[in-house]
Amino acid sequence: MSKNDRQHPLVEKMREQLADGRCGRREFLRNVTLLGVAAPAAYAMAGSILGKSLVPAALAQEGAKKGGTLRVAMQVQKMDDPATYSWIQMSNQTRHVAEYLTLTDAENITHPLLAESWEPNDDLTEWTFKLRQGVKWHNGDDFVADHVKWNVERWLDPALGSSNAGLSTFSAMVEDSDDTKKMIDGAVEVVDPHTIVFKLSKPVLSVPEDLYNYPTMILHPSFKPPFSDNPVGTGAYTLAELQVGQVCKLKRATQTTDGKPFTYWGDEPYLDEIHYYHFDADNQLTAFASGDVDTIYEFSIEQLPLAEALPGQVLEVRTAQTLCCRMQVDKPPFDDLRVRQAIVKACDNAAMPALVFQGRGDIGENHHVAPVHPEYYQLPKLERDVEGAKKLLEEAGKAGLEVTIDIGNTDGPWHQAVAEIMRDQLKDAGIRLNINVMPASKYWEIWTQTPFGGTAWTHRPLGTQVLSLAYRTGGAWNESHYDNPKFNEALDKAEAEVDVEKRRELMQPVEKILQDDAVMVQPIWRPVFTIINDTVQDYVAHPTEVHQFNKVWLSA
Amino acid sequence: MAILILRRLVQMALIIVVASFLLFLIFDTDAFKKKTAIAELGGFGVSSLSEADYQKWLDEKGLNVPFYQRYGKWLGDVATGDLGRSYEKSTAVGPLLLDRLKNTGILAFWVFALMIPLSLVTGVLAGMREGSAQDRTLSFIAVFTTSIPEIATAILLTVIFALGLGWLPAKSAMIGGFNWRQLVLPVLTLVIYDFGYVARMTRASMAEVMTSQYIRTAVLKGLPFRHVIVKHALRNALIAPFTIIVLQLNWLLSGVVVVEVFFEYDGFGKLLLEAALFGDIYVVQACTLVAVVIAVLSQIISDVGYTILNPRIRFA
Repeated sequence: MSKNDRQHPLVEKMREQLADGRCGRREFLRNVTLLGVAAPAAYAMAGSILGKSLVPAALAQEGAKKGGTLRVAMQVQKMDDPATYSWIQMSNQTRHVAEYLTLTDAENITHPLLAESWEPNDDLTEWTFKLRQGVKWHNGDDFVADHVKWNVERWLDPALGSSNAGLSTFSAMVEDSDDTKKMIDGAVEVVDPHTIVFKLSKPVLSVPEDLYNYPTMILHPSFKPPFSDNPVGTGAYTLAELQVGQVCKLKRATQTTDGKPFTYWGDEPYLDEIHYYHFDADNQLTAFASGDVDTIYEFSIEQLPLAEALPGQVLEVRTAQTLCCRMQVDKPPFDDLRVRQAIVKACDNAAMPALVFQGRGDIGENHHVAPVHPEYYQLPKLERDVEGAKKLLEEAGKAGLEVTIDIGNTDGPWHQAVAEIMRDQLKDAGIRLNINVMPASKYWEIWTQTPFGGTAWTHRPLGTQVLSLAYRTGGAWNESHYDNPKFNEALDKAEAEVDVEKRRELMQPVEKILQDDAVMVQPIWRPVFTIINDTVQDYVAHPTEVHQFNKVWLSA
Repeated sequence: MAILILRRLVQMALIIVVASFLLFLIFDTDAFKKKTAIAELGGFGVSSLSEADYQKWLDEKGLNVPFYQRYGKWLGDVATGDLGRSYEKSTAVGPLLLDRLKNTGILAFWVFALMIPLSLVTGVLAGMREGSAQDRTLSFIAVFTTSIPEIATAILLTVIFALGLGWLPAKSAMIGGFNWRQLVLPVLTLVIYDFGYVARMTRASMAEVMTSQYIRTAVLKGLPFRHVIVKHALRNALIAPFTIIVLQLNWLLSGVVVVEVFFEYDGFGKLLLEAALFGDIYVVQACTLVAVVIAVLSQIISDVGYTILNPRIRFA
């Protein structure tokens, strides 16, 4: 947002709150950037209020050296259609070639990228995005608003199958018509070549965050899948080689596709090349140990002792990634609230971090809002109550209850470990839990149908985002079939409130209703781990494991 | 002989037709289509499609074409050398398969180059004097190494030689181009597992020959023992191991899955597993094709070789 533009009225309030100490630095930054203040301006604003320089780590690089190749062990996947990507890995391969309108950093703060600034109207139903000027595509074309419109329309084409269509922002741009979803006329309006307006059918808070959802890369309208055959983006790198299951090499873009000089719009990155080498999840750390690579996508908790024994730096990130052992509230025996409450009461979430993640990770509170979320409201601690659980079961006439949970280990074998601990805990209340382990791909076939299943949910920067997708009546991914008008109403209020402190207050009923309705046992927020060797500098591990390498450099 | 070979080849063609038909039939089920959709779009992506939109997506991917049509087209394409396209890897299957077969070929070559002399010598030495200390020691080693599954050997070798001593790389992804040091551990793993089995077979065959009357005669007429072994026993004793060794080709094709996946070696086994897990039908089909051809060819070689080596069969 430039100085002359109208500032969102809430920015001023946020400034007051920061000055009064009612909100923290991080929350201030997160929220004013959300309201369209450019990140450097936001940091400067915070600095002037708090009276100290708050230059973000990413901008403070001294002695950074240009050159070199960063070698990363990761699964190397195909790069067909960025709009239908279903893995972070594919998006990482593409992320430095094609770019997003926004960028959410590791601290959950969303920055401008291809969009220079944005501004919502007061009730958050209309978002105006100013696009960066002077951005060139790799084919030499200028980047303009029509290109963004083309992308959004494409995501909303139902036959494409893009998971973007399920996000709050985009589901507020479609209407139902004959068993198919159609984009509402005029939902995307191009005002001028560098201004675009999204008109939403309901207030949405998370538009900038949704625009950094990994399948929302902005592609050139000449795009035809596979992307790898014609990789035209706006990024600092271009695809030099892709062999699925083997290697993906990116190198600095210096020429357009027709051989003219190409200059990247942003700061010149340091690395000459980025190489991804294919290693399966279990093998990445061993590849690192052998010195084949400089960093890896991820290692699992079981590998932590090995990682700590290796030279290099282990990076651990707190996240809002979790496992939801959710029950379908309309399927017996879970249609009886007392049964669900008994199961929840008999479980001891507080015991999970020690048993599953060697004491790491945050304890889940069965309402799917994480302590790392800005609007997290701390409810009273959950207490395990085995006697209470038994009593509830007796009242329900379900003593000696036997239930089966489907586990797909879609995010690794720790899912099964959690289920096994739950089985032991539930036994104390006389509940027998059978664990039905199945392959991950099988689980994704039944995840919306199984009465009791453990589903992995990824990290999203705002607490309201998942609630809206997973627990609102008719939400795109409402796997528990939860349907409570009071909850919807409370969530609507929270989602319409940009002021983080007020929103936190409004989250209290949201979290409480969901927790009391015992929809899920959501035992733990998992940490993610990666490792870098001593040459890798200014590498920031991200809670969604996305790679942002424009500032990374290698020391000799 | 020609009839035998011809019969085997007809058999091969039949197996291929039936196996590929069954695979197409299985992959045509709704469950497998769903699996493909989930592999492509992800669980969250698929569940945001309505039924009508899901069908539209299947149409677009060509998955709604009746399977007999797809099967017929596939047969025709295969006849012209086109093995189709991989869904997962988004490339033509033919070159991909060739490349992977070449890698597995290199692996197999070294496995055989080490395993054959090692197992034959061990087997002959053990079978020469049945029941001797030498026999017991060698037999124990052979049984011991064969009893450890490849995955355990692979882990053990990695821990000792790669992570512990640091002599060899832990993985064999060959990311900087071909590197023989990365080949050592996978070859060793396969050799350790397989040599014991072939050695045991050689030993049994040798022991049997050693009890035959012509050997006893040779010994009794005062020939040096060395002479008896080399001139009289070996040729007959090696007929059975020959067959077994050729049939190891078959074992290798499935045996490499574990080893290639563990060491991240880009060969046929890894390709097959990845394709099976993804539901990548054209790759699975092509791999099946190769597996059947190799199975039947190795059978033909072993049959023909057996007849050549063993005059009793040749003239019967």
